[in-house]
Amino acid sequence: MKIIKLLLLLIALAVGTSATVMYSGIVDVAADEPHSDFVYWLLEETRKSSIQKAAQHIQVPNLDDPELLLMGGADYEFMCSSCHLKPAQSESDMSVGLYPAPPNLAVSNDEHKGHEHGDDIQAERNNFWVIKHGIKASGMPAWGKTHDDQRIWAMVAFIKRLPTLSPEQYQILTAVE
Amino acid sequence: MKTSLIKTVSKIALVLIPTITFSMAATAHDPKMHAKKVGKADCSKMGHSKMDMKDPVVIAMIKKCKKQAEASHEKIDHSKKDKKMDHNKTKKIDDKSNKKAGHEHH
Repeated sequence: MKIIKLLLLLIALAVGTSATVMYSGIVDVAADEPHSDFVYWLLEETRKSSIQKAAQHIQVPNLDDPELLLMGGADYEFMCSSCHLKPAQSESDMSVGLYPAPPNLAVSNDEHKGHEHGDDIQAERNNFWVIKHGIKASGMPAWGKTHDDQRIWAMVAFIKRLPTLSPEQYQILTAVE
Repeated sequence: MKTSLIKTVSKIALVLIPTITFSMAATAHDPKMHAKKVGKADCSKMGHSKMDMKDPVVIAMIKKCKKQAEASHEKIDHSKKDKKMDHNKTKKIDDKSNKKAGHEHH
């Protein structure tokens, strides 16, 4: 009986504390005020584990088809480049203003600060999943609601090649006649 | 009178609102929209000397530039044809007017 009483007390205390934090307004939700290191780590690890688990069984098609690069290039320029940048661009209004900052996909994985990608196949699975489903409260939309899988794989194929492209190559691949 | 007017307006709204919404959604992802923002590929900067012809990026660029060149050739051909057609028309018109003039002289 004592244990049950203690448990109930602890639950009431937890609910009370959560409600106080929620409704007092002490949590700063401004995008220009970064999380504490602990909260950032907590969210990052949760995000990484969630994507890794959800994407682990996705079958990756052949991404070396030039037609995929042409299809994905136009979509990348229109849908992604304002946040994820393009060759020879280091920042944009969106990349600076969003929090967490969207990764610069025009540089190689090794140059990304703060997170690893795992092996290439898993990185492609992850990219497909993220493009298709988006990420909650991050500014990343779920493009799968309006784009079919083939178009999303085309974007994955283009993103795979993006760090190796010069600005001139990028311009040619992303142009639409 | 009022109720029938309200009914008519609500019927029109019921038809128009989904139609406009769906048509906007359809055009939102039309690849042709991309063309307005991006423009044509600048193929003049494509250096052929250092290219690996087996690289998918190189193949994709060549495809894009070839397609663009063919499209611009077709445009030129069409404009030439149009001009020829115009000349033919004017010739026919001229012939007709000459014949008319000839008839009048008879």
